[in-house]
Amino acid sequence: MTPGPLPSALVAQATNPIIEWEWVVEEWDQIWRAIVEHVTLTMMAMALGLIVSAFLAALALRRRWTMTPITATTSLIYTLPSVALFALLAPVFGNLSRWTAVLPLAGYTLLILVTNIVAGFQAVPPSVRDAADGMGMSRARRIWTVDLPLAVPFIVTGVRIATVSTVGMVTVAAIIGQGGLGRLIFSGLRRAFWTPMTVGASLSIILALVIDAMILAIGLWLAPWQRRRKGATP
Amino acid sequence: MIAASASLRPSQTAVPRDIGFFEWFFDADSWAGATGILASLRDTVILCAAVTLVAVAVSVPAAAILAHLRRAEVSSTWLVSISRAVPTFAIAALLVPWSLERGWGFEPWPIFIALLLLALVPIYLNTYTAIRQLPEGPVDAARALGYSERSILTKIEFTLASSLIFSGVRVAAIQVVATEPIRAFLGGDGLGRYVRDGFGQNNNTLVIGGIVLIGGLAALTGLIIAALERLVLPNGVRRLARQQGDTSP
Repeated sequence: MTPGPLPSALVAQATNPIIEWEWVVEEWDQIWRAIVEHVTLTMMAMALGLIVSAFLAALALRRRWTMTPITATTSLIYTLPSVALFALLAPVFGNLSRWTAVLPLAGYTLLILVTNIVAGFQAVPPSVRDAADGMGMSRARRIWTVDLPLAVPFIVTGVRIATVSTVGMVTVAAIIGQGGLGRLIFSGLRRAFWTPMTVGASLSIILALVIDAMILAIGLWLAPWQRRRKGATP
Repeated sequence: MIAASASLRPSQTAVPRDIGFFEWFFDADSWAGATGILASLRDTVILCAAVTLVAVAVSVPAAAILAHLRRAEVSSTWLVSISRAVPTFAIAALLVPWSLERGWGFEPWPIFIALLLLALVPIYLNTYTAIRQLPEGPVDAARALGYSERSILTKIEFTLASSLIFSGVRVAAIQVVATEPIRAFLGGDGLGRYVRDGFGQNNNTLVIGGIVLIGGLAALTGLIIAALERLVLPNGVRRLARQQGDTSP
């Protein structure tokens, strides 16, 4: 399903409405499959990204000197051109493997996630940490029951930004035959039929907004004190 | 429709599959002609430069004035959260039928607008925060000396903030160059065409060539803007930025 060259002359002449609702109704199965694939790829990339960033952030917090090389590497990955990165991995894993799409997608989340996790743990007030130590908590217990909950708002912010940008980036993975809604975009473009293109592109934007709102809600549920604090200080 | 057809270059890169990457890359014929590397490179560089310049022309004055007036605080924090999430590919794809309908062709408008949205945010944010976070001293001193508000903005705030503004421009330009190759997959040209044609013809030489060219240009962009920064910014400003711990290279 990699995109071939466009039948350009044909495409340029094609005039059809930007969206035909009958097609959306008829082909809903196909659209739904694309949405599911899109969400699956996003979740796989985010899961992998979170696991790797948790390790990197823990390393950066324990050994301060690793912070600079970790930031430098993740920034470098972040600025790699997406088309080149997807193309580079396509021959390694093959076009049909999800990993060809998931690895670069996860790579792009690292910078945002590591930065936010580290910032979250660093923002824990030293007095709170001292109090926990003073109460005789073990290091592990303190990290899980004191530091981590207090860092949740920062981590959730990072996860939101990373997820929204991953949803957008998944469409690009369509160039290697993955990419959920991005494939609708390409199938529309190849046939000079705009409805799938419009559906794929707008659904990927809507999906990003919906997932963002869902993570925001989960974040407020995990750390309800944020809402109170927000209300107190306008 | 005539305009649309005229602006299209349906030509494809054609390279025999048994030719290796080095043979292709170091052949003068690969660089020349309408589908040559030089022409594609020129297409990409012109588009990216235009996007970055327009983004600077729009974002910098808007952010500088709003920051000087201490306005639009909320909207800039809101912008932070979307700054890394602009779905360039989807936006460009949405704009393609719209552009064709008007006879404007596949490019440059859809990809131009999508990349512009991507570039506006980091430049706006950096300019706004740079001016907003300046120490009060110099601004107060200038005001006491009778500077007009306009001169305070252009001579004092803008100069002192210029190093951070420049790093916003660098981030934006790198993102634009890194994203531009999607243009080739939406009916356009530019350096992404080698990856596209390589996939289409199952030709790894072209795919590798595309990766090398795209990656090379992205790496070069950072260096060029850093050099530009050296050239444009006053020495004092750069020294100040270093002292304040701005670690941007």
